[in-house]
Amino acid sequence: MRYRTVVTAAIVLAAARAEAQYPRQSERLAMVDLIAARGVHDAATLAAMRSVPRHEFVPPNYRAQAYGDHPLPIGHGQTISQPYIVAYMTEILRPRPGMRVLEVGTGSGYQAAVLGELGAEVYTVEIFEALATSADQRLERLGHETVTVRHADGNHGWPEFAPFDAIIVTAAGGHIPPALVEQLNPGGRMVIPVGSVWGVQNLILVEKDLTGDVRTRNLLPVRFVPMLSELR
Amino acid sequence: MVAVGFVSAATLAYEILLVRIFAIEHFHHFAYMAIGVAMLGFGASGTLLALLGRFQRESAELWLTLSTGLTCLALVASPALVHQIPLDPTQLPWDPYQWVRLAGVYVLLALPFFTGALVILLALTQERGRPGTVYGVSFAGSGLGAALALGVLWFFLPERALAVPALLAALGAVAVAAARGVGGTGGTGWQKGFLLLSALAAALAFARPPWSLHVTPYKGLAQVEAYPDAQRVAERTNPVGWVVAVDAPAFRFAPGLSLAFSRDFPTATALFVDGGLVGAAANWASDSAALAILDWLPTAAPYAVREPRRVLIIGAAGGTGVWNAITHGAIRVTALEINPALVELADTRTRDLQRNGVALQWVVGDARSYVARSRDEFDVITLAPTGGPGTSAAGVHSLNQDFLNTVEAYTQYLERLSDNGVLSVTRWIAIPPRENVRVILTAVEALRRTAGDVLERGLVVLRSWGTATVMVKPSGFSRSEIQHLREWAHERLFDLDWYPGVESAAAQFNYLAEPTLYNTAAAAVSGKEDVQAFTSTYPFDVAPVHDARPYPHHFLRLSSLPALVRAGAGEWLPFAEWGPIALVATLVQSVVLATLLLLLPVAIRARQKQYRPPVRILGYFAAIGLAYLTAEIAAIQQLGLLLGHPVYAVAMVLTVFLILSGAGSIWSDRREPATGRPTLFLLALTFAVYAVLLLAIVHAFQGAPLFARGAVAALALAPPAFLMGIPFPLGLRQLTGENRVHVAWAWAANGFASVVTAPLAALVALGAGSQVLFLVAAAAYGAAAVLGRISTS
Repeated sequence: MRYRTVVTAAIVLAAARAEAQYPRQSERLAMVDLIAARGVHDAATLAAMRSVPRHEFVPPNYRAQAYGDHPLPIGHGQTISQPYIVAYMTEILRPRPGMRVLEVGTGSGYQAAVLGELGAEVYTVEIFEALATSADQRLERLGHETVTVRHADGNHGWPEFAPFDAIIVTAAGGHIPPALVEQLNPGGRMVIPVGSVWGVQNLILVEKDLTGDVRTRNLLPVRFVPMLSELR
Repeated sequence: MVAVGFVSAATLAYEILLVRIFAIEHFHHFAYMAIGVAMLGFGASGTLLALLGRFQRESAELWLTLSTGLTCLALVASPALVHQIPLDPTQLPWDPYQWVRLAGVYVLLALPFFTGALVILLALTQERGRPGTVYGVSFAGSGLGAALALGVLWFFLPERALAVPALLAALGAVAVAAARGVGGTGGTGWQKGFLLLSALAAALAFARPPWSLHVTPYKGLAQVEAYPDAQRVAERTNPVGWVVAVDAPAFRFAPGLSLAFSRDFPTATALFVDGGLVGAAANWASDSAALAILDWLPTAAPYAVREPRRVLIIGAAGGTGVWNAITHGAIRVTALEINPALVELADTRTRDLQRNGVALQWVVGDARSYVARSRDEFDVITLAPTGGPGTSAAGVHSLNQDFLNTVEAYTQYLERLSDNGVLSVTRWIAIPPRENVRVILTAVEALRRTAGDVLERGLVVLRSWGTATVMVKPSGFSRSEIQHLREWAHERLFDLDWYPGVESAAAQFNYLAEPTLYNTAAAAVSGKEDVQAFTSTYPFDVAPVHDARPYPHHFLRLSSLPALVRAGAGEWLPFAEWGPIALVATLVQSVVLATLLLLLPVAIRARQKQYRPPVRILGYFAAIGLAYLTAEIAAIQQLGLLLGHPVYAVAMVLTVFLILSGAGSIWSDRREPATGRPTLFLLALTFAVYAVLLLAIVHAFQGAPLFARGAVAALALAPPAFLMGIPFPLGLRQLTGENRVHVAWAWAANGFASVVTAPLAALVALGAGSQVLFLVAAAAYGAAAVLGRISTS
C-alpha cells in the first residue's frame, strides 16, 4: 500500500514537472493522435506538431480551446487554421531541413513555426502590420530562429530570397499571384487552400517540374473522403 | 387607433430592416431568425394578455400608454444593446458562451415586438365590439410599414434607416399623448411626459444613431478595408443592397487567372454588396497592358471561339465583363445589372468607351425580364462568377432564390443568340464538384429544348485550376473553332474536359481526383435516362432546377442527413450547407421557444382549471396562422421572378397582403361571427388554382414593363389578400363569451403556427418548391373551413 502511494506520488510529480517543462503537452499529444488517425502519416510533420505549443499562437481569450481541431479567430478577420489542415498542408508540401519555404499570410505564425521546426528556412509575409509584428515577436520569443517575418503585400512574393523550394499560401483569393508561380523553384510545390475556413477547404497543389512546366491538383483532404462515400 | 397604426408600421418596418441588417452584418440566412423573433414577440404578448384576462378601462388605458412609450424606447434600446453583444456565429459549434450571447440577442430583438403587440391587444380590449377594425388598422399600418422600410433604404444608409421604426413608434406615442392632451380627459402629466420623452429618444436616435454596423470580419469588405492604405471611395444604399467601393493598392481582381500569365496586375476598385465582394470597377481605356490580363481569364473563353460583335453580359457588376468583351472586338455591349448603385459606379469608369465608338448600354433590371422582352440577338451571352471560391463552397448562397440559372432561364438565353452565338457560364469549382455539374446538366437540358439535334456538337467544358466554364452553341461548334479553342486553352494551362469529338477524359494541366465534369457531360448528351442515372447516384442533388424551385445553389439531399449526423464531430462540415443548417437550427429553436413561451403557460393554466385543450379552437387558429404565412412565402417566391428581385416581391406581397387583409378584417365586423366557412373554402380554392396557374401568369407577363408587372402582381394578390383578413377576427368573435383559457389557447395556437411556419415553409420551398407551398396553404385553409364553427358554448 505504502509502495503504491509512493509510486503514484512519483507519477503525479513527474507529470507536474513535465507539464511545467512542456505546458499542455498531453493536450498537444492528443491533438496529434487525432490528426494521425485522420490520415496524416508523415512522421516529421507529426513530430513538429507535437513540439510547437499552439496555445502560444492563440489570443488569450481562446487559449482554452487551443488544442481543439478547429480554426480560431486571431483578429483582422484572420484565423489560425484548423490543426488538421496545418498538418495536411505541411505533409503535402514535403518540407525538409534546409529547404527554403515562402509563406504568404503569416497570421499568428503557427504554420511558419511548424515549418521552422522541420528545419526549413522560412520566409513569411503578412499584409496586416499588427499581425506581422506580433507574429515576429512571438516567433522570436519561442526561439524559431529560422523564420523571417515581413510586413508586405504577399501578391509580390519575396523576390530577394526567391526562388523557393516550396510556397504555402494561407490566404487564398480568387487568383494565384503570377509572382508566386514565378518564384517557385523547378521541382517545387505550392499549396493553396481554397474555400471557406468555416466550411470546406479544398487544397490546390501547384507543382513545377524540372523543365518549368506547371500543373495543378485539386485535393479533397483525406479526412473527408470516407464521408463522401457515405453520401453516395 | 392611430397609435395602433403607427406601432404596427414601426414593428413591421423593424422586422424588415432587421432582415437587411442581418444580411449585411452576418449572412442573409439569419433573416428567418428575425422573422421568428418578431412572431414570437407577438405571440407571447397575445398569450400573456389572454391569460391575464380583461382589464378595467382605466388600467387598460394606462397600460396602452406605457406600452406605446415602451415600444418607442425598445426600438431604440434593442438595436443599441444588440450591437454591444460580441456575437460571433462562427464560434457557436465550440464556444458555449456564444449560445448565451445568441439568447441575449434573441431576447433583446423580441422586446419591441412584445411591447408593440401589447399596444394592439390593449386597443382591442378597449374596442371589444370591433376587433376587425382594430386588426384592420394594424394590418394596414403593417403594410405601410413594409413599404416604408424598403423605401427609406433609397435615402438613408442602413445604420440610420434602423432608427426609422423608432420614429414611427414616436408618432404613435405623440398621437396617444395628443389624445390625452391639453384639455383631454383621463391623462396624467407623467404619462404624457413619458410618451414625449420616448418620442424625443427616437428623434435623437435618428439624428445620431447610438449604434454602428459591425460587419463580420470574415466578409471581404472588412478584410480589404483593413489592407494598408485602403480607402472607402463610395457608399450607396438602396433596398437591393448596401454598396461600398474600396480602393486598396493590395487588392487584385482576376477570378481564375491563368497560371501562365506573367505580366503586371492592373489596379481596380473593389466593389461590395452587403459586405461581400461582387466585382471590381476600373477605367482601363488607355491602359493596353491592363487589358491584356482579361484574355487570360477563363471568362474570355467564348471570345476564343469567335470574335463577337454583339455581347450581352448578365450580372455585369463593376464592368470587368464589359472590358473583356470590348477588348475582344465587341462593338455593341449590353450590360445587365440589378443594382443601380453598381451601374452608377461602373458607368463612370466605362464612359470613355462610348467616345471610342463602342455602343455600351447599361441596363438596370433583371435579366429574365430583359431577355423576355428584347428582340435583339447576341453573338455571346455570358454569366460570370461572383464573390470568391469560398462562398459557393460553404453553401452560403444555398437559400438564395436565383431565377438566372434555371432551365427556363438558359432556354431563354439560347433563344436570344444569333445564328452562331455562344452562351458561356463560368463558376467556381468546389470539391466534389456541385455547381459546375448542375450548370452542365441545365445547359444541355436547355439545348435539348431549343436544338435537340446538336447536343454532342453544341457543348464545351473548359476548366482552370479553380473554375469551370460551360459553353453552349445551338448551331454546333465547328472543327476550326474547337482547334482554335484548344490552342488558346493550352497556352493558358486550361483543360478542355469536353468538346465535340472528345474521346476520353484526359486532363493535361489541372487534375481532379475523378473526371467528374467529363462524366457529367457524357451523361448529359447521352439522353435523359443517363442524366437520371447519373444524378441519382451522385452524392449531391445536382439535377437541373426550374422556376418553381429556383435554388440552383442548394445541393444537400435530405436523405444525406442521417449520414451527416452519424459522422464524427466536424466531419460533416465540408459537405453541409450553412443556409439549410441555419434554417433547421431556427426551426428547432422556434419550436422550443414557442412551446415554452406560448403553449406551456396556457397548458399550465388549463391544467389548474382542469380544462381540456379545445381541439377545434387549436386546429382552427393554427391552420389559419400556417396558411397565411405559407401563402405569403409562396407568393414572394413566384413574384420574385415577375418583379425581378426578391426585395421587390417582399415589398409588393407584404404591402398588398397586409393592407388588403386589413380591409378584409374591417369588413369582417359587418359579418356574423359564424359565417367564415365560405371565405375559407374560397381561399382554399384560390390557392389550389394559384399552385397551377400563377407561375404561368408570371411567365406570360415577364416581358412587360415594370409598372405593368407590378400591376399584374397587385391584381393577382388583391382578392385572396382581402379574404385572408377575415378568418382571424371572425374566429375571435366566435370566442366572445368563452372562458379566458380558450381565448388564450387560440392566441397560443396561432402564435405557435406563425413562429414555426416561417422556417418550415422556407424548408418546404427549398425541397419541393413554391407550387407545393400554395397547395399547403390551400390544404390549411380547407382544414380550417372543415373545422368551421369553433365556439364551444
